[in-house]
Amino acid sequence: MNIKQSAPTTVHNPHQPSAVEKLVAFLDERMGLKEMQAKMLNEPLPGGSRWAYVFGSVLLFIFAMQALTGMLLMFYYVPTADHAYDSTQYIIHEVDYGWFLLSYHFWGSSAMVVCVFAHMSQVFLWGAYKKPRELLWLVGLALLGIVITFGFTGYLLPWDQRAFWATLVGVEILDKAPLVGDFIARFLKGGPTPGQMTLSRFFVLHVMILPAALMALAGLHIFLFRVAAPAGPFKGTVEEIKAKTDYFFPRQIWKDIVGMAFVFVGICALALWEPVVLLDKATPDPGEYHPEPEWYFLFYFQLLRLKLFAGQLGQFIGAVALPVVFMVLLVALPFMDKDPERNIFKRPIALISWIAIMVVIVLFTVAAVINREFLD
Amino acid sequence: MLQPKLKSKVQCTDLNIGEVTKVVLDPLSHEISHIVVSVNGSGERQVAMGHVQVVTDDLVQLRAPSTEILALPPFKREDYVTTHEVEISHLEDHIHVTPGEVLVPLPDLEKSVKRRTFFMNFTNVIGFLIGLPLAYPILRFLMKPMYAEFDNQWLKVGNVNKIKQADVGVQFKYKKKVKEVYMPEYEIEKNVWILRATPELLDKVYNDKDAEFRDAKGKTIWTNKKDVPYVAFSGKCPHLGCGFKWRQHKTLGQVFLCPCHLSIYGATGRVLDGPAPRGLDALPLKVHASGEVEVIDMEFKAGTKLQVRIV
Repeated sequence: MNIKQSAPTTVHNPHQPSAVEKLVAFLDERMGLKEMQAKMLNEPLPGGSRWAYVFGSVLLFIFAMQALTGMLLMFYYVPTADHAYDSTQYIIHEVDYGWFLLSYHFWGSSAMVVCVFAHMSQVFLWGAYKKPRELLWLVGLALLGIVITFGFTGYLLPWDQRAFWATLVGVEILDKAPLVGDFIARFLKGGPTPGQMTLSRFFVLHVMILPAALMALAGLHIFLFRVAAPAGPFKGTVEEIKAKTDYFFPRQIWKDIVGMAFVFVGICALALWEPVVLLDKATPDPGEYHPEPEWYFLFYFQLLRLKLFAGQLGQFIGAVALPVVFMVLLVALPFMDKDPERNIFKRPIALISWIAIMVVIVLFTVAAVINREFLD
Repeated sequence: MLQPKLKSKVQCTDLNIGEVTKVVLDPLSHEISHIVVSVNGSGERQVAMGHVQVVTDDLVQLRAPSTEILALPPFKREDYVTTHEVEISHLEDHIHVTPGEVLVPLPDLEKSVKRRTFFMNFTNVIGFLIGLPLAYPILRFLMKPMYAEFDNQWLKVGNVNKIKQADVGVQFKYKKKVKEVYMPEYEIEKNVWILRATPELLDKVYNDKDAEFRDAKGKTIWTNKKDVPYVAFSGKCPHLGCGFKWRQHKTLGQVFLCPCHLSIYGATGRVLDGPAPRGLDALPLKVHASGEVEVIDMEFKAGTKLQVRIV
C-alpha cells in the first residue's frame, strides 16, 4: 500500500499489456466485467462444494444442448401433417449426422427429466425449500411443469404412431378436468380431433413459448437462488460449516463440469446405441401398435390401469384429482412445513413420503414393462 | 451498542492506539466480527469484536491494554475479499459504518412532482387499456378451429362377406377424407369393428329397443334397427381414446381388449373388466343387399359415463 503510494509516477511498468488484456480492460471499463465475473464465481457455498449440488448446473447444460440440437433440427423439420413425418425421416436417413442430432435431442429430454427429478429430490431431502427459499421452490415447480410440457409437446412433432397416440391419450386426460377440460383439450388439439392444428399448436409451444418461458423462469430461479444464498448442509455446527466453506469457483464448478461431461457422454452413448427409429406415420388407426407413453410416464400410465381408477369418477380421481392434489401438496410444502429442522433423518414424514413415491414409481414402471409381454 | 465507524479513534485501557480503517463481516451472520485498527506507526491489527467494550460516536473503547493489541499478528489483507468481489446477498444490510450518508442532489424538475402514485397508477391503467382490446381478438384468433360441425356423411367401410363367424369382432379399415383449415384435402386411416350378431347377442346389445342417433340439434338422423344382425363399434376406446383389439382372454374368452389401460369389453360392447367408464360406442350402420357396409364416422369423448359426441 505504502510502496504504491510513494512510487514515482514516472517509472514505467515493465509489463506491456497484450492485445487480449487491452480488450479485457476495454470491456471491463464499460461493463464492470471483472466485478461481474468475481460476483458470479465468488459465491460462498456453506459447508463446501458437493457432488449432490451439480444437478442445477447440469440442467442448464442439458437445456443449452436441447436448444442447440433443436435449432439444428428445425433447419429440415416441417411442422405440417403431410410433411412432419417425411421431414423427420429425412433428418434420420439422409441428412449427415441427422440421426445423431435427433437422437441426442430425444435422449436429452430423458436426461432432463432424470436430472429435474434428482435436483428436486436433493432440494427436498436437504430441506432446502424451507424459509427463506419458498419462492425458489415455487419457481422450480413451474420449471418442472415446463419440462414436462416440453416432453409432451416434443413427442408429437415426428408425427409417427407413437407420437399420435401418446398425444391423443394425454389430451384425453386433460379433457377430464372439470369445467375447463373440454376447452383446454380443444384448444390444444385445435379442433375436436388431433390433426394439422394440433401439430401447429404443439410446434409453437415447443419451439417458441416454452423455451421463452423456461429461460425467463430459469433466470428468475437463479436470481432467487443467489438472493437467498445456498442452503448448505443440513447438519454441522456453524464453526464446522464455516471451516468447510468454499466458493462456487473452483471446486463446485469443477464438480459441475464433470457432471456435465458425464451426462454428455451418457446422452451420446444412448444416441449411438439406441438411435431414434420412427414407427409408421401417424393415423387414427393404431394397427398392431400398442400405444405407450415415454418411459418416465410409464408408472402413471400403469397407475391409470388400476381398477381403483375405473369408471368416470375413478378416472377423474386418477387422471385429474391425483396429479392436482400432488402438485398442490408440492406448492404448499414450504408453507406447511414450518419446522426449521433440515436434517432428513429427523424428518420422518418427509423421508417416508419420498421413499413411498420412489417405490410407487419403480413398482408401477416395472409393472408396465412386465405388462407388455401379455399384450403381444 | 453502536457499530464501530471508520476513522473512529481506538482507545485501549491505557492509551489511544490508532483508528479504525476497515471492518470485517461474518459471512453467515452478516454482523461485524472484527475491526481493523491502524496502530500509530506499526501497521494494522485485526481486533475481534469481543475485545470491544463500548462504541461511541467517534471512539471505540477496548477492554485490553495496548500491549495485548500490539501483540496480535499483523492484519493480512490478502486473506480477505471486498464486497465487490464476492456474492453474498444482504451482506451490508445491517451495516452502518459509512461516516455520514452518501448523497446526490435531486434534479429540480423532480422537486415539485407531487402525484407520483397517481402517475404510477395512470401508467398501469394505460398499459391495461392497451392490453384489454387485444385479449378478445387473440382468444378468438386461437379458438378459430376448435369447434366444428358434426360430419354425418355415410362412409363405405367394406363388405360383410369378410365376416366368417358370428359374434366375433372383425376390424374394417377405411379411409376418411379430411379437409383441415388451409390444408389440401387428405386421407386418414380409420377403423371400425363389425360383428355379425346372433339373435342372443342382438338382444343384449339392443335390449329390445332400436338405437337412435341424433344430430347436434337433437333431430334423429338414423336408427339402428334391433333386427339387423350387424353391430358396428367405433374403433376408439371409450376409456382414453386408444385403439382396441379382438383378443383371446384367459378367463373371459374372446373379448375386445384395449392395450393401453387394459379395458376389456364383451362382444356386446359392455365393459367386462378394466377402467372404462362405459361400453363401446355403437355407430350408425347400413348394410346393403350386396353386403357393402356403410357407417357414419362418429366420435365420442372418451372417459365419460354418458356419450358426448365430438365429431
